[in-house]
Amino acid sequence: MQILKRCRATHASVAEKSVNVPSTQVTTIDNGLRVATEDSGAPTATVGIWIDAGSRYETDANNGVAHFLEHMAFKGTAKRSQTDLELEVENIGAHLNAYTSREQTVFYAKCLKQDVPKAVEILADIIQNSKLGQSEIERERGVILREMQEVETNLQEVVFDHLHASAFQATPLGNTILGPTENIKSLQRQDLQNYVNAFYQPSRMVLSGAGGVDHETLVKLAKEHFSNVKPVNTECPNVASATACRYTGSDVRVRDDSMPLAHVAIAVEGCGWENADNIPLMVANTLIGAWDRSQGSGSNNASRLASVAADQNCAHSFQSFNTCYKDTGLWGVYFVADRMKLEDMIFYVQNEWVRLCKTVPAAEVERAKNLLKSNMFLQLDGTTPVCEDIGRQILCYGRRVPLHELEARIDDVTVDDIHNVCTKYIWDRCPVIAAVGPTEQLPDYTWLRQNMYWIRF
Amino acid sequence: MAGRVFGLRSFGLKAIKGNHHIQSNNFSSEVKPPPQPPSFQQPPLSAPLPGLPKVQYSSVKDNDRNTQVTTLPNGLKVASENRFGSFCTVGVIIDSGSRYEKPYPSGVSHFLEKLAFNSTADYKNKDAISQTLEKIGGICDCLSSRDTFIYAASAATSGLDTVVKILGDVVLRPKFSEEEMNMARQTIQFELENYQMRPEQETLLMDMIHAAAYKDNTLGLPKLCPPASIGVINNNTLFTYLKNYYQPSNMVLAGVGVEHDKLVEAATKYFVDKEPIWCQDKNLVLTDKPVIDTSKAVYTGGFVKEECNIPTFAGTSGLPELSHVVIGLEGVSHQDTDFIPICVLNILMGGGGSFSAGGPGKGMYTRLYTNVLNRHHWMFSATAYNHAYSDTGLFCIHASAPPSNVKNVVDVIVKELVTMAGPISSDELSRAKKQLQSMLLMNLEARPAVFEDVGRQVLATGHRKRPSAYIEGIENVTADDIRRVASRLLTTQPAVAARGDLINFPTYEDIHYGIQNNGVLPRKGHTIVTIATQKERKTLKKKTH
Repeated sequence: MQILKRCRATHASVAEKSVNVPSTQVTTIDNGLRVATEDSGAPTATVGIWIDAGSRYETDANNGVAHFLEHMAFKGTAKRSQTDLELEVENIGAHLNAYTSREQTVFYAKCLKQDVPKAVEILADIIQNSKLGQSEIERERGVILREMQEVETNLQEVVFDHLHASAFQATPLGNTILGPTENIKSLQRQDLQNYVNAFYQPSRMVLSGAGGVDHETLVKLAKEHFSNVKPVNTECPNVASATACRYTGSDVRVRDDSMPLAHVAIAVEGCGWENADNIPLMVANTLIGAWDRSQGSGSNNASRLASVAADQNCAHSFQSFNTCYKDTGLWGVYFVADRMKLEDMIFYVQNEWVRLCKTVPAAEVERAKNLLKSNMFLQLDGTTPVCEDIGRQILCYGRRVPLHELEARIDDVTVDDIHNVCTKYIWDRCPVIAAVGPTEQLPDYTWLRQNMYWIRF
Repeated sequence: MAGRVFGLRSFGLKAIKGNHHIQSNNFSSEVKPPPQPPSFQQPPLSAPLPGLPKVQYSSVKDNDRNTQVTTLPNGLKVASENRFGSFCTVGVIIDSGSRYEKPYPSGVSHFLEKLAFNSTADYKNKDAISQTLEKIGGICDCLSSRDTFIYAASAATSGLDTVVKILGDVVLRPKFSEEEMNMARQTIQFELENYQMRPEQETLLMDMIHAAAYKDNTLGLPKLCPPASIGVINNNTLFTYLKNYYQPSNMVLAGVGVEHDKLVEAATKYFVDKEPIWCQDKNLVLTDKPVIDTSKAVYTGGFVKEECNIPTFAGTSGLPELSHVVIGLEGVSHQDTDFIPICVLNILMGGGGSFSAGGPGKGMYTRLYTNVLNRHHWMFSATAYNHAYSDTGLFCIHASAPPSNVKNVVDVIVKELVTMAGPISSDELSRAKKQLQSMLLMNLEARPAVFEDVGRQVLATGHRKRPSAYIEGIENVTADDIRRVASRLLTTQPAVAARGDLINFPTYEDIHYGIQNNGVLPRKGHTIVTIATQKERKTLKKKTH
């Protein structure tokens, strides 16, 4: 009831709002596959398949299989060789891409409007009829191991993998997306096939389109190319279904004094995708902000942490993050700092957190709300970001949240909501910490845990 | 209940699971549980928020939109296009940049870029501008290239007047306080240091290849502020530069997603009626005499090299240290009739990194992949670039490999440049044309890209050619066109830039000889290059040939 009242109060003056965007249309076809489009009439389009499958549905034994499959998708199908596929895509000036996250596997194509039917046909083919040839599998092991080396040069990714490994220890969310080396070397064709059978099911898929895509046409294409995907029995060997992933406040430090800078992430358990608390948590996240040294003095930055980091010269860069999963999440800050500044920097981070829980003023919250809205809306420019937004939202929320609703939800957040929600997630909670590099000065866990609340503030 | 939860927790969940009838310790029953903070009051994101007003979604298809252009009394051109969406991008595009710095210390543009969106007559600091923009959901940015400056902001369409007010102030009435000047000096210093510390070399090499191609003139002037200029440039230098180049006739105010009349109205308010700061206070400029470089770019060709150690990528990547080579030839201006064919040639050459992300569509069948990266596994990257300016152009290939192969890199690139004038299969030509067409249209998906296109075209020619005109132009390119532009390129003197460990690097004369002789470098000429000791090589830094 209270919801209704508050929303009415906010919007009572607006009888009918005109939003200058097309609506999102969604249709579920017979086998359960959802088709969602936003038709902007552009001369180009992005279409893609979002699948509710990722490394969180893996076991220790087959960890890495979702990512392996993503690689195999471009290696040819029953009716196209790898070269045929590549030339076909290159010749129409299209782009084919794929990525795997902990909860989603995505294949998408960007192309000219008139080539949408061809793009959908290709996507359907690589997803359903991937050859999974033995020699290609053997060759791809090397490629994935090289990709793993590449990932290891990106210290931010390394830290986030450690953060997940610690926060979600002994659960599938703690595993990496690429999987351990021994799995990459040993996964067999049957493992890949089992995973496809279990998870590439129509009810777990969304065909999303944006740009020059007509909804009826896409629905027709979906029926034509995806109706062979039959709902299959989930009972496949070696495949785990999504179980709740327990969060553990804990820490991991990989000390390496030969590195010039320390890379640190500190987080608390956030909430799952659907949880409405996400809105105030995102506002809080924006309020903490992001900064790096090339932006110069932080005194011009909306974020107080940025001014402190700049004025005290205690970090090279930092960014706040809010990573969501189905039923849990990680909300925190990642920073890069000199070895002798770690204690200072983490103190200021936790200081900001306590402030969020108790004393942050309304003016800062209002500013963060505005920033969050601009960032969200300005980001949705171009067919690929829109297509991505649609696909992800339909998987996460079962619907596309209209932009004006998102705006209303953010507008609705008050300074009290920020205090309450932050208190719920941050105040006196066990944090998780991952640090790589010269980490000697980083305070021990008990000290950091103790700074999650203050007696006086 | 709260007491119960507390009890359960302290005994561990597992022990009591399923035994709810067992009484937990009652030690907290006397104490009232602390009030739980009320949770956030919205339904989950999977359910719609009730009570929202009805909305009217706009439906699609306002097809080919035309660009409207108005010239104001002071010479400022105002150009706009309406567009789908509730946001607009508005900005000022100015004929200004490092190519015009001849009468000034090099680095003025670098300073201006760093000082953009700082304090102005009406806004007391950068934060005041950000705060004003945030209220209308906006962000701003300044970008500069060798011959163009762009100050732009994106915001909700309703905030148009505010956006233009900020742009007018930022472009015509900046303050350049001493504090801001010092901050800019520091940031530039930091940026220069950073370029030396990073393995990525593109920015440094682009300055070097331009310096080789246009020796000591216009486009050859550095875009990065030379360290020696950092202490020399002060706010009077900047104001003098602005007075000379930031004249209304040198700029376009462009907007996408706005109504033309409203943009013209705002432009009149903030770009015509209000004077530039250097007109209000004559003491800001060093001299009243015009200090303007209007000379045409002179392509000279030449060789710029820097022997140094290039940082490797962090961690255990196993990637070796790399040496970088760029070989360029004089291309064509963006107003030249050969402009479209040379763009097709650029796509046909394509290339990229030997290990790059992305599936089919990244140009895996372009020549620098099929002839170079797929054949020579020691080659780390090879990419073709086409820079087009108002009076000239530079077409180049950038490649990198471990130092032991640096001579082979030159051989391979020279060979590929020469082969451009040879036979072209119809498949590769039609693929390149299709890719250029789709790349053009895909770039124009984003509003800021459309804005930039409108602004640049109106600045160069006074109007905007529709994308469809380019699509058609690309369609009409033939194999003969490609061979013609390739031959035209190959008649020019090469420009060469090299950075890293350059042991056994061929001489400029050898490279030139190779380009004129079927891509084969002389085999005996290179004995002149002596192997310098490590110590000597360090002192050879930045030797210009």
